[in-house]
Amino acid sequence: MTGTLTDVLVAVALLLVAAAATAAVLNRDPVRQALVLSFLGLSLALLFTFLQAPDVALSQLAVGSAVTPLMILLTVRKVRRRPGDGGPPQGGAGDGRRGAGRDGRPPR
Amino acid sequence: MSAADGWLLAGLVPLLGLVPVLWRIAYGEPGDRLIAQNLACLLAALALLLTAQGFGRPAYVDVALVLSVLGPAGTLVYARFLGVLPGSRLVRWIALAGVPAAVIPLCVATGPGRAMVKLLVIGALLMAGGLVTSAGSRDEGVGA
Repeated sequence: MTGTLTDVLVAVALLLVAAAATAAVLNRDPVRQALVLSFLGLSLALLFTFLQAPDVALSQLAVGSAVTPLMILLTVRKVRRRPGDGGPPQGGAGDGRRGAGRDGRPPR
Repeated sequence: MSAADGWLLAGLVPLLGLVPVLWRIAYGEPGDRLIAQNLACLLAALALLLTAQGFGRPAYVDVALVLSVLGPAGTLVYARFLGVLPGSRLVRWIALAGVPAAVIPLCVATGPGRAMVKLLVIGALLMAGGLVTSAGSRDEGVGA
């Protein structure tokens, strides 16, 4: 009975992983993808625990559900700020403008 | 049906609760997505606690401990980036009712000792994290 229940737990976790991965692929907005990716890391950690590998689950939890989505969010933020930096001035002010933007944090 | 089966069945409940949460994360509004991420961490931690008892391996509780620290912190970070932290009655109710409903029977089953202290710490972290992140954006997120 315990073996059957473990199989059921593993099957549910596998279904969650498959659904979360599909949702992460099908979403087009990077910010939303980051949140789905964090859910994917969470369900992978659950799956690893049910497969009796809690050490792998620990590292998966730290990397998959915290660090990777955070890096994606930081990257998206950086990339989205770039067009606002170079947008309005048309000529000649490239370098000075960039330095001012980095220090002065222009409004988005 | 032995006691271990009972714990595993109990762990299956929050695991199945993750399915609608995934739906919300994939298709919800921005505020809904944040609530769903918060709720997913809470439910996953409960599932980990219950199945650790079901497998008879108290060491598996460590994963739930890490999750109970990372989950609310991650939610606050996302709230900073997305600019919203909506209040959620569901998260508050699960933190106030669901967490004690899982932790107190686990403490009774474990008996006094270091393992029980660990369980109590995890439960307190989960409740505190759930209450802070479900309180709404008046005191969190925007000013941070």
